[in-house]
Amino acid sequence: MRKKVIVKGLVVTLITSLMTISLVACGSGNKKEETTKESSQVNIEAGQQKGGAYEEEVTITLGRQTLQNAKLPDGDTYEDNAYTRLVKDVYNIKLVDEFEASGDDYGRQVSLALSAGEIPDMMKVATYDELKELYENDMIADLSGVYEDYASDYLKSIYDSYEGRALDKVTFDGKMMALPGTNVDAGPSEVWIRSDWMETLGIQVDQDGNHAITIEELEMVASKFKEANLNQAENVVGMAFAPWLTSGDPDGTYSMNSIAYALGAFPKTWLESDGKVVYGSTAPEMKEALSVISKWFEEGLVDPQLGTRTWDDISALLSNGQTGITFGTWHIPDWLLNNVRVMDPNATFEAYGIENAQGEVSCKHNDAVAGYIVVSKECKNPEAAIKIANLFYDTLVTSNTIEKDYPEVATYIANGVDGSTRPFNIEVNLYTSLLDDYSDVEKFVSGDISIDEVRTTESKNVSSSIQKYLENPTGAEVVDWSKYHSRMKGIELIQTFTENATFNWITPIFPQTTTTMETNQANLDKLEEETFIKIAIGQIDAEEGFNEFVKEWNKLGGKQIIAEIEEQLK
Amino acid sequence: MTNKTAHRRNRKQLTHHLMMMPGMFFLLLFSYIPMVGIVMAFQDFIPAKGIMGSELVGLKHFRYMFQLPDIFKIIRNTLVISIGKILLGTFMAIAFSILLNEIRKKFLKKTVQTIVYLPHFLSWVVLASVVVNMFNLDGSVNQIVTQLGFDKINFLGNSKIFPGLIIGTDVWKEFGYSSVIYLAAITAIDPGLHEAASIDGASWWKRIWNVTLPGMMPIILLMAAMSLTSILSAGFDQIYNLYTPIVYDTGDVLDTYVYRIGLIGRQYSFGSAVGLLRSIVGMVLLVSANKLTKKLTDQKIF
Amino acid sequence: MIENRSFSSRARVSIIYCIVILLGLVCLLPLWNIVAISFSSSAAVTANKVGLAPVDFTTVAYKKIIEDSQFWRSFMISVVRVILAVILNTVLVVLMAYPLTKSTREFRGRNLYMNLLIFAMLFNGGMIPSFILVKELGLLNSIWALVLPGALPIFNVILVMNFFLGIPKSLEEAAIIDGANPLQVLIKILVPCAKPCIATIVLFSIVGSWNDFFSGLIYIQKPRNYPIMTYIQSLNVDIQELLKSGMSSSSLGNLSELSNKNLNAAKIVVAVIPLLLIYPILQKYLITGIVMGSVKE
Repeated sequence: MRKKVIVKGLVVTLITSLMTISLVACGSGNKKEETTKESSQVNIEAGQQKGGAYEEEVTITLGRQTLQNAKLPDGDTYEDNAYTRLVKDVYNIKLVDEFEASGDDYGRQVSLALSAGEIPDMMKVATYDELKELYENDMIADLSGVYEDYASDYLKSIYDSYEGRALDKVTFDGKMMALPGTNVDAGPSEVWIRSDWMETLGIQVDQDGNHAITIEELEMVASKFKEANLNQAENVVGMAFAPWLTSGDPDGTYSMNSIAYALGAFPKTWLESDGKVVYGSTAPEMKEALSVISKWFEEGLVDPQLGTRTWDDISALLSNGQTGITFGTWHIPDWLLNNVRVMDPNATFEAYGIENAQGEVSCKHNDAVAGYIVVSKECKNPEAAIKIANLFYDTLVTSNTIEKDYPEVATYIANGVDGSTRPFNIEVNLYTSLLDDYSDVEKFVSGDISIDEVRTTESKNVSSSIQKYLENPTGAEVVDWSKYHSRMKGIELIQTFTENATFNWITPIFPQTTTTMETNQANLDKLEEETFIKIAIGQIDAEEGFNEFVKEWNKLGGKQIIAEIEEQLK
Repeated sequence: MTNKTAHRRNRKQLTHHLMMMPGMFFLLLFSYIPMVGIVMAFQDFIPAKGIMGSELVGLKHFRYMFQLPDIFKIIRNTLVISIGKILLGTFMAIAFSILLNEIRKKFLKKTVQTIVYLPHFLSWVVLASVVVNMFNLDGSVNQIVTQLGFDKINFLGNSKIFPGLIIGTDVWKEFGYSSVIYLAAITAIDPGLHEAASIDGASWWKRIWNVTLPGMMPIILLMAAMSLTSILSAGFDQIYNLYTPIVYDTGDVLDTYVYRIGLIGRQYSFGSAVGLLRSIVGMVLLVSANKLTKKLTDQKIF
Repeated sequence: MIENRSFSSRARVSIIYCIVILLGLVCLLPLWNIVAISFSSSAAVTANKVGLAPVDFTTVAYKKIIEDSQFWRSFMISVVRVILAVILNTVLVVLMAYPLTKSTREFRGRNLYMNLLIFAMLFNGGMIPSFILVKELGLLNSIWALVLPGALPIFNVILVMNFFLGIPKSLEEAAIIDGANPLQVLIKILVPCAKPCIATIVLFSIVGSWNDFFSGLIYIQKPRNYPIMTYIQSLNVDIQELLKSGMSSSSLGNLSELSNKNLNAAKIVVAVIPLLLIYPILQKYLITGIVMGSVKE
């Protein structure tokens, strides 16, 4: 031990001498002292002036999940941008980033910080397991009190709109341990069909006009598209799916979810009734759904390269006009289908749901929570987290005069600077926000309200885009085309289904990772993916193969996991 | 032995030790101190508890590893792919460096050498899409296959072919870079030996066989022994970016499996245990290779 | 060297040329494809239309790179890192390799050192303790975190040692008789003789530290200070994962640009250029090590 100290001493001397010529110095060494000094002074005043600015500057260190290409203007960084400057102006809080990373790399930084025993004052954690670990090891602060005292009524109403599904998830032993990010229902995986092709070929679907088509109609369109090959493409493909076929998210893009749901199968979903837990992928309905795909594969309606066709490949099939049908969430026109329009200015899409025998469209609720903001136990100003949340999820969102009051922020929004540049990279939206925002757009487009009456800046941008598109559909910019399709087709479909009560909502359960899951889940997933794709491409028989799969699945730990989840629910 | 020579020898010894010191300093600091982390393989490591605070569980993770239902298939897949890569990769690198050394046109030699070492710098994330575009059913390779009058081959979706594809594309990516070291070895061979052989009337093949290859042998043995240490790694990035559930049968290897397990519940300890096992196997193989070379050639690798 | 100008030898030479050129072409393809992508329009790339010739030729990607201050910042960080790493690696490796060529009789402790090296080459404690160490040393977020942990490439030590062993002992002995100490022997005799090998390890150091992205991900906690390959690595965004983490609708428009493949391809091309230039420079040394021909054993 002493030797280590000596070695360390030696090294530190060596290093400090080297550090004087350090090139990428970030000077994190003395930051901590500053923080403690400043925040302890302000702490007293904080209680007196609720929600207002601190009299003396408070420094808060953050762990932030970033995004490449956040479109920040030149010179601005995650640490120093319109949003962080706003926090400084409004609350006199100086935000310092302890670490930043994107995607999975962020999760690694969080683990490293945990292992080193030092976490920043506030940080995002992505998974429930991480949150639980932080709580169990007593590293994060109880926010119940500060939430009660500081959260604005609107912020509270947002969380309440989830009827407890959001706050329950962060409540441990009656204590609120994090600010949850909310996750609104994204609706079903919609079927996007080239409407320009349908028109040319005179194809009629959806006779009852409920915007939902049957599996037979889908099959008919695919076969007619393939036969006609309007784009005169080599290697025409009827329908293409990603290799994993199903998705745990209801709106899974490039998945067969919509077909499965219509047949009453809910793959990768835990369902519960009367205390009994069922795993959707093992239900007999799933066998039916896979049989449909495998029949289509045999008939050549489904991509002959099913199973090896990657995400990018499928996007390419669409762009090239090799296929005119795809499956995905409401906003794929914004970032996937836009490429189709770039290649073919005449391309238009119509979005449909797939209905079951009763004429309903099944859809599943999302987990109400995505991401968490936690506050370190060492943080002197936990209430600052709530104050920041008030600012970003209430004040800025509900302000009608954002251009006047926060011109810099307005410019950011207009230029599409990514939301992750806000101090907390989570979304906190009303449960109904998707359709609420859309209703403004819809009213504007139908001429009921003027652009000034559209509530949010975001919706205003969308509205004027759609207007531009409608004035000149073939000549409009791609981005206007995209906004029109994602809203007036994508969200419109969800809106219609909601209005007409076409939806058949399924409420799944979102169990914690159980001990058997930790050890066996990877293997079970492998078994499932392997079996499903092999059934789909006819390598194994649907009937026999699926029954065998269910047996194996139970044997390899599935049964045990179900028992564990049932135990959790008690 | 006189006092003076003894003194000189001691001083020489001391100089030798001193020359080792700077490197040893970094070795002890950055390699040996972090080795406390090996203990994670015997713990249920939880980041928030740290290495000191996590619970010791003995051989739990090793036992678990060998209870995994597919483990032997996965180890087999790993071995097939990594041994294939070692054999074919070494052969290609040696053959290429010998051939390149025969090129007398300096410009051509330099250009080719620079080109073949380029694929090494491209990550598999990037190269995977190139490989997929070449080998899918509509790809250029299948166009050649059909022109030769055969049926299209589903390279990426056929579990019999998939390991071959992985080995082949990896060799293609790496042989040029590996050949750098063999080229250096060839230049270190005494040209006088070649001349002597030529004068004796030895054919080209004979000279390669009797002069060049024996001259390269220490480096070949060294490289071969070193590659044995990674026999349980089949190349994560490459396989992860190219495999799909259809080819799990032959394409799922230790690294990909550990990765997928790690996705559920961030299991650092299991990863450490697999890593440790890999190191132990590597050490056994390396030490045996060293012993074997000494027995066969009277030379040591290290 | 005497060349036999017979028919068979000429045929052999032509075959060798053919094989070598063919291998060269095969290796050129992927890079060529990436260059073509970098000069094509984004839509053409998404549609998978780019093969070996650019489609809708455009230099917009390169124009964007020129204006991309982050790219050049990362690029420079890597340049500095490589310079530091090469100096440190080469000095440490060469210094260590020489004493290790001695027998245990000449250098007591030689085997212990060697075993320590081999063991450290095979075993490691993983990323977490290394991170904590670097953090405790106060190196986090500095360029030294990228250089010092990899200061001693063990494989290179063994490589150089093996090359030194191949140099005729007589050269070394002659110098020792002239009264040279080990350091002088190393610098004056062995290093010049082992030029190709040293050029090789210099190359390995350059390539290794230029290409390494993982230490950047761990030790550099702000993407602004990423070295170039870490920066490029972080451009590969898994959109599906991103969608799961809950996106704001303002982010949706940015999604299509995330997979901006022609721009990413152009970045890769520019990042590979230094390595393309380095090799021909070092090549001069790779072929001029043939000094020891005069001394025969």
